[in-house]
Amino acid sequence: MPVYLFQRFITAFLTLFGMSVVIFVLLRLVPGNIVDILFSSAGFVNPAAKQEIAHELGLDQPIPIQYGRWLRDIARGDLGKSYRYDIPAWQVIKPRIPVTVELAFFALLVAVFLGVPIGVLSAVRQDTATDYLLRTLSLAGLSMPSFWLGMVIILFLVSWFGWIPSMTYVSPFEDFKAHVLQFLFPALAVGYRSSALIMRITRSSMLDVLREDYIRTAWAKGQREWIVVFGHALRNAMLPIVTVIGIEFAFMIGGLVVTETVFNLPGVARYLVDAILWRDYPVVQNLVMFIAIVVVVANLTVDLLYGWLDPRIRYRVR
Amino acid sequence: MNVSTAGSSLEPAAIFRRHNLRGNLFLFFREKPLGALAALVLLLMVLAAAFAETLATYDPIRTDAEHTLAPPDRAHWFGTDNLGRDIYSRIIYGARVSLAVGIASSFLGAVFGGIIGVISGYFGGWLDLLTQRIMDILQGLPLLVLAMVMAAALGPSIGNVIVAISVPIIPRAQRVIRGSVLAIREFAYIEAARALGIGHLAIAFRHVLPNTVGPFIVLMTAQFGSAILVEAALSFLGLGVPEPYPSWGRMLSVSAAEFAQKAPWLVLFPGTAISLVVFASNLLGDAVRDKLDPRLRGA
Amino acid sequence: MNRPSGRLLVCALLAVLPVSVADPAETPKPGGILNATLLEAPPSFSIHDETTISAVWPAMPCYNNLVLFDPLKKQESLDTIIPELAEKWTSQDGGKSLVFSLRKDVKWHDGQPFTSKDVKHTFDTIRETPDITSKLRVNPRKLWYENVESIETPDAQTVVFRLKRPQPSLLLMLASGYSPIYPAHVPVPELRSKCLGTGPFKLKEYRQGELIEMVKNPDYFVKGRPYLDGIRYTIIKDRGTRYSALQTGRQDIAFIWEVAKTIAETTKHAAPQLVLVETSTNVNDHVIVNFRRPLFKDSRIWKAINLAVDRKGYIQAGRQGAAIIGGILLPRPYGVWGLPEDEQKKLPGFGDPVKQKAEAKKLLAEAGYGPSNPLKFAVSTRAIPTYVDIASYIIDQLKQVGIEATLEQVETGVWHPKMSRGEFEVALNLTGIGPDDPDANFYENFRCGSIRNYPDYCNPEVDSLIEKESQTLDQKKRLALVHEIDKRLQLEGARLMLGWSKEYVLMWPYVKNLVPHQSIYNYGRMQEVWLNK
Repeated sequence: MPVYLFQRFITAFLTLFGMSVVIFVLLRLVPGNIVDILFSSAGFVNPAAKQEIAHELGLDQPIPIQYGRWLRDIARGDLGKSYRYDIPAWQVIKPRIPVTVELAFFALLVAVFLGVPIGVLSAVRQDTATDYLLRTLSLAGLSMPSFWLGMVIILFLVSWFGWIPSMTYVSPFEDFKAHVLQFLFPALAVGYRSSALIMRITRSSMLDVLREDYIRTAWAKGQREWIVVFGHALRNAMLPIVTVIGIEFAFMIGGLVVTETVFNLPGVARYLVDAILWRDYPVVQNLVMFIAIVVVVANLTVDLLYGWLDPRIRYRVR
Repeated sequence: MNVSTAGSSLEPAAIFRRHNLRGNLFLFFREKPLGALAALVLLLMVLAAAFAETLATYDPIRTDAEHTLAPPDRAHWFGTDNLGRDIYSRIIYGARVSLAVGIASSFLGAVFGGIIGVISGYFGGWLDLLTQRIMDILQGLPLLVLAMVMAAALGPSIGNVIVAISVPIIPRAQRVIRGSVLAIREFAYIEAARALGIGHLAIAFRHVLPNTVGPFIVLMTAQFGSAILVEAALSFLGLGVPEPYPSWGRMLSVSAAEFAQKAPWLVLFPGTAISLVVFASNLLGDAVRDKLDPRLRGA
Repeated sequence: MNRPSGRLLVCALLAVLPVSVADPAETPKPGGILNATLLEAPPSFSIHDETTISAVWPAMPCYNNLVLFDPLKKQESLDTIIPELAEKWTSQDGGKSLVFSLRKDVKWHDGQPFTSKDVKHTFDTIRETPDITSKLRVNPRKLWYENVESIETPDAQTVVFRLKRPQPSLLLMLASGYSPIYPAHVPVPELRSKCLGTGPFKLKEYRQGELIEMVKNPDYFVKGRPYLDGIRYTIIKDRGTRYSALQTGRQDIAFIWEVAKTIAETTKHAAPQLVLVETSTNVNDHVIVNFRRPLFKDSRIWKAINLAVDRKGYIQAGRQGAAIIGGILLPRPYGVWGLPEDEQKKLPGFGDPVKQKAEAKKLLAEAGYGPSNPLKFAVSTRAIPTYVDIASYIIDQLKQVGIEATLEQVETGVWHPKMSRGEFEVALNLTGIGPDDPDANFYENFRCGSIRNYPDYCNPEVDSLIEKESQTLDQKKRLALVHEIDKRLQLEGARLMLGWSKEYVLMWPYVKNLVPHQSIYNYGRMQEVWLNK
């Protein structure tokens, strides 16, 4: 197990390193330069002043050196300055992280509590009308653009209830109920889609397990259905499900981007869109790196969990 | 043989011999009616897109100041938007853009990913190791995020959007193809061919590649749906296909959401169109995968 | 009952009937927080650096001007200018000196006293005199004060503006929301994030891109003001969400710009108690072509573009009827200087659409373009829904005369630099002018070399005409000159005017004393606003 752990950590680290290179280079491919944007609006561009700022930002150095400086700055905890807001990038990003994390967490909860039971039900009632209905609903979840779902939800709320959740972030300490309501609907919008995937995995994994001999033995011995299903089958089916949940967390980020926009939540994902549109490169760079880190950590956690759950890996000697 | 997947992936592949194509299709449709239905829906969409000029009732960018936000009626089957443009015609033409982008990007991604997967999987060794690390990196970034950054970097144009969406697909594609290549590589007849002195490249392309057709098809149908959704999201965020090309995703951004209360048809039709195409693509993907590669079921 | 007492009874009844919302006899109640909405995050709080309402609207409560347009009067003019930091002012030397007497009891938000030094500092910084200590990052209205020779401060309560020649418009420009007074003891770059003024509200919190919170200034020099305890500006980018928020009562007032008439009507229909005020904005939509590009040196090209666009369709489809046609200056009944409607209608582009399109096709053919060789270019516009829509409409109109145009969406933050650098072919642009004043408009947008003169239009003859009208004291003569300039600018393609937008400001009826003006830039002070809750 320790060997396994070590291997995984090294891989994760290398991956992050590689990602940073990719991100850095991608953004430098963009035509147009932040200095131009900052200074040309003045009209009376003073070439000397422009040079000065370019030098200060390190943009006149060759790319490998710029990259090195960026890494060094990150190691020091300095994430650069947001050009849009004129303050350190970290200051802009920091308050937004909990919002996105919370939304992702709630969405994941929705996904699991919706997806797993439905998947189990669908597997147990395989090929019945229930099964087909549930599979259709879940496939619909995978097919709908999540921002559309968000829009339809808001439309529905406004038309039928004359109410929408708060449009400014309400802290849970300020007003717990409003806070919960604020996150409920976007979580539903994002979670529905993830629940579809989880439902499918649960279903297929359960189907595989239900066919196993020891399950049949349990049937034959006259065990009650629900004990068999939950006590034996589900426990053994959990492995691939857990894997998918971990991976889903990373996939969800796309859905978070659009949903935060529709519901006006001040999260990291929405800020990424704004930063891209505003060409605030330092922020984009750091945000994407942050997302990459989250993804890698999620995958790592899944790998570790997988390693722990699957005895074959736990006790393997290499 | 030291391969645990012996047998299962070869059999369906063996079925797919070219002279038996019609028979295979017929079999497929009989066994998987849902998949057949989905395929039909997709085909209809593609035809509609191809024959947009005939099927559309108006020029999709033609504005009509007198008839803005008109509800669906005989003149405008799906109603009009806030500039008086006919929504039905925009959906038909939008199909062209969305489907073209979806097909092109998933195809490009699958082809490039496939080539990388074949080379990486077949030759193995340090080349494989390096390629896999690079692919892990690309895959680590969420699809939409990478597509967004690329679209912003390249600028808004239909070509750039296709590239931006296909790049994140490449690592996902190559993983699947490589998996099947790894399986096939070990088969006895491959070893036999090598023993006979046939070159690596010939083996790769004449024996290994055809057997990846199955997974490739599964892959494309799976990624097609994602590609359409990503294009819709990019257009919604303002990073996708620019005007005047009508795009389903963009029909949902800009004005639609705002006028939705007064004119819900602005939001309902494009969203339904997207969902329908992706739904059909997913159904078809499921059916194809069930038929060709039951191992991947549920993935 | 006999008649006289019946009449008395009726009179008594009428006396106790509920009074209308606008009844000035209502006594303002202090307290409460106003929930206002913003379309987008302000680029910064430094008003002198910015050119957009998104910056002026939330920052105005922090500051004061020397003088201001009366917030309670809808139509702005010389007659509605009231004192703020200046108690009184006189014009001397035949109009070449403007002397202001300043208030004594004013403090900056950080406690420092306000003196004439601050006024001198503010306007010297804008004029970029050699001795200034810090510079503005951008300085879009430098030319407003071109006529100021020097600013003298004989004592702490007196400021004298010495002008090169008389300029009736100077006072109007000083009364605009774009002319706050900056503190001399704070470096200008700091004001981008600080919003430190003498105004009725202090900046309490700014949550980046999300929310601006202002709190009452307890030491404000006008006793008993402001009535509000605070203001919360919520940034809601998505227009549909903005109006849903208003409808459900989460917001008290919508943003005062970028409303679509249809949405305003739908929202009012859903919540009939909402107050809907129709007003102009002093913002106009127009098309500009980049004269730096060789393509547009051929006047037939931009003349064809001008003729192709049906103005009536622009009003109906692009703005759902919420606009009026007009020339370079705001037309009546909203503004004072605009060309009369019959004269405007005679100009190319405002006549019969069918005939015009035919003429446009002819011009293009003469220039060598036709179905086999279509003219192609990109139309750039800001990535705001209204403008994307109008641009889509224009692209359709261009298509009908055989021009194949594509749309380029540009984010606001990148828009102005891009335009100043001339990185466009054709653009759908909008310009708002602080006060309805020819000087402000002409100097900023049409003078050779002004940074906001995006098309790079330059005609020294017109420049001298502008110089002439700026010092003409006779109102009638000045109006005639202004009309002449207006027509020339349009005929020479400096701007292909579309129209002047109207706004529909929506607010809940308990919001009192927030009177929309005919220009959106000058009534954001919030000093008189109170909530009847």
